[in-house]
Amino acid sequence: MSDPGAALELNGIRKAFGPVTALDGARLTVRAGELHALLGENGAGKSTLVAIAAGLLRADAGEVRRDGALLPAADARAARRAGIALLPQHDLLVEAATVADNLALLDPAAPPFESAGARRARVARLEERLGLELGPPGARVGELPVGVRQRIAVAGILQADPGVLVLDEPTAVLSPRETSALFRSLRARVATGRAVLLITHRLAEVFEGADRLTLLSRGRTLLEAEVSSTTPEAVGALLLGGAEVSSRSGALRPDPPDGERVPALAVDELLPAGATGPPASLAVPAGAALTLLAVDGNGADLVGSAIAGVRPARGRIRLSGRPVPPGDPRAFRAAGGAFIPADRRAEGLVPGLSLAENLFLRRPPGRFVIDRAALAAAADDRLRRFGVRARGPWAKAGELSGGNQQKLLLARELEPLPRLLVAVHPTRGLDLASSSDVRARLLDAARAGAGVLVVTADPEEALELGAPIRVVYRGALSPPLAATTPLAELGRRMAGLAP
Amino acid sequence: MRPAAVAAVAAGTLAAAALLVLAAGASPADAFVALLRGALGSSAALGETLARSTGLVLTALGAVVAFRAGVLNIGLEGQFLAGAAAAAAAGPLFPDAPLAARAAVLLAAPLAGALQAAPAAWLAERRQVPAVLSTILLNLVAAAGVTWLVRGPLRDPSGDYPQSRALAEAALLPPLAAGSRATAAVLLALLLAAAAAFVLARTPIGLALRAVGEAPRAARAAGLPDVRLRVGAFLSSGALAGLAGGLEVLALTGRLYDPFTAGVGYTGIAAALLGGMSTIGGAASALLFAALGAGSSALQRDAGVPSSLASIVPALAVLALLLARGERRER
Ligand SMILES: Nc1ncnc2c1ncn2[C@@H]1O[C@H](COP(=O)(O)OP(=O)(O)OP(=O)(O)O)[C@@H](O)[C@H]1O
Ligand SMILES: [Mg+2]
Repeated sequence: MSDPGAALELNGIRKAFGPVTALDGARLTVRAGELHALLGENGAGKSTLVAIAAGLLRADAGEVRRDGALLPAADARAARRAGIALLPQHDLLVEAATVADNLALLDPAAPPFESAGARRARVARLEERLGLELGPPGARVGELPVGVRQRIAVAGILQADPGVLVLDEPTAVLSPRETSALFRSLRARVATGRAVLLITHRLAEVFEGADRLTLLSRGRTLLEAEVSSTTPEAVGALLLGGAEVSSRSGALRPDPPDGERVPALAVDELLPAGATGPPASLAVPAGAALTLLAVDGNGADLVGSAIAGVRPARGRIRLSGRPVPPGDPRAFRAAGGAFIPADRRAEGLVPGLSLAENLFLRRPPGRFVIDRAALAAAADDRLRRFGVRARGPWAKAGELSGGNQQKLLLARELEPLPRLLVAVHPTRGLDLASSSDVRARLLDAARAGAGVLVVTADPEEALELGAPIRVVYRGALSPPLAATTPLAELGRRMAGLAP
Repeated sequence: MRPAAVAAVAAGTLAAAALLVLAAGASPADAFVALLRGALGSSAALGETLARSTGLVLTALGAVVAFRAGVLNIGLEGQFLAGAAAAAAAGPLFPDAPLAARAAVLLAAPLAGALQAAPAAWLAERRQVPAVLSTILLNLVAAAGVTWLVRGPLRDPSGDYPQSRALAEAALLPPLAAGSRATAAVLLALLLAAAAAFVLARTPIGLALRAVGEAPRAARAAGLPDVRLRVGAFLSSGALAGLAGGLEVLALTGRLYDPFTAGVGYTGIAAALLGGMSTIGGAASALLFAALGAGSSALQRDAGVPSSLASIVPALAVLALLLARGERRER
């Protein structure tokens, strides 16, 4: 039953968290010299499975083998010694430390004492080797956009030379160019006989760069296949299972109905703290959407969080004509603003509170005393409609899988209908069905009269939204581009090249 | 924490305490019986436990309320002293009106506690000074303030010792039962613990407070008034400790002297920690510590064990607890 070529093999893995069965006899075989993709809907058990492989979690049943030899259960050191390295979905970096220090920490070959100059040189070396921009070496990681953090984490983990490298959604906020750079270095790695296991929701990546794939659904292995022997359509159909892709999208009105209407958002000469580029000016009409497209680190996300008041800024912001002082999230909310931050775990959710409490943080039902029955009922309804997979409204937000946390956040911010929604990387980590559903919901919100500002690093997402696109490069906004602009042109603009 | 871990903590603490008693040349069984009898064995013993628990319950509560909002208030000791000083200043103003004296104490003490916390709250929000630092320093200020007050402005001119004038005998809280030191103060403390538990768990403001404490950036981004909530919790925490100080004067001492406390503010923090930073857990731990304190006097008298041993036990319990937690994080 053991596969002779297997570098990593998991068999019959079961894992339950209380009443939730996360894995139900899942199997996974990664061979030496292959790039293996692990696919599955949100909450399928992917992160749990790789955490078990890396010895971070104890399985209730099942075995983990490395090159055929049984690994001791829940022993992270043994797994590391056996050459299994994991880049987790969240939380690899030390936020209070600088880029240079984080990369030094993740470098197994780093000498115990190292000059600041040598650490900076490492950053430059990695940027050069991987073709990824890693941000200023002296910047604290916690202050950098999530996309840059993701690049740093990827670069950091690639320094080690493990026999089996496991990456949990490393491309969720990377732009296509960065993703191809990452895949180039992963291909070079597997060419030398080592194995790479990569979790992703993007089928295109899988079919361009992976050798084999495993598809997980509800804790079980549905499919193990050579990539060349199957098609994106077949895998997509399996992934969607019964779920139907929402077909609600219809064109947005190309123009606001009435040119005289007060825009939902008008931003004038906005300069977010920490931004390097020129001040930004933009407007979003009520009942319409605008997409800011950029590689993370170019300031688009800063504009988003500055508008939401989360980041201090200079400049003028008006919501439906009403001035909102920068740096004041309460004023932004009071003016009818809603915000989906890029960093859902630090700026979005309160992990230790229940789903119900997270959904109704500001106004739980009940005046002086929370009406728990009403809260549970309202939360239950909301969770169902937004497809959050959880054991109930009183589960803790921190227990949810990454994609389900994102859905929870969307469920809070999209209802009641805001006047303006600022959504940064709104489909980060969402599976196929949910991503298209969320895009449809964003457009629904616009159709219902809200202004919607989306920040994304994914040009295909920008095109799919169908709203005018402004590419941000080094803080400067391009003129609005039609949603029919060729993908290649968007890519060139994102890289700062002539269109 | 799992029940098994709780049991392990309790067993470890008991075993270590037994070893210490053995080292002191006494029998652990005798010591245990003496301790129990001293804490709960008679109405007087029970009264002693309850009287001691008032200050501990309220300071533990203060620690919990602040902590749940993300504020590390180590200044409960100083806020307790501020409350006691305010009580000693305000109470004697009404020598012939006991009810007015009581009302003055119950108003002035929490207010003084909140005022004592205010500079730390301001420094934390406006100047990013960690509350741990500022409150520890303010404790020193409060202790020095008490020294000065009892020798200066509040000094009782008729006494030989540096101490404040006494409240009228009629103003002091009467015992709940004859021969007991327990008064209505302990009932007030327990009532406040129940109220705080309810507010934290069941009201919108409690929910907002917990959100701000656990994920300050997320709470702020969601539009919660984070600064107001943190400052409010900080001042309430100070008010609870201040009330504890005021009740100490009103129920037990009748006046202020120097030194006035043997670290009730710090012990309250230990109780809160042992109680897992929950209101009910903190109050229960405070009662436990009070029983240990009351029992320790009997320990000396009946079992010949140095009473200071008993004050080691709470410290042991907290250490064992932290050990148990550390072990859990390792896996
Ligand atoms: N610590 C935990 N406590 C309780 N439930 C958990 C915990 N961790 C995971 N789960 C549950 O286990 C299931 C699988 O979660 P997992 O994180 O493995 O999903 P995933 O496939 O990685 O999803 P995603 O694509 O959203 O990241 C989910 O239902 C999740 O709620
Ligand atoms: Mg996951």
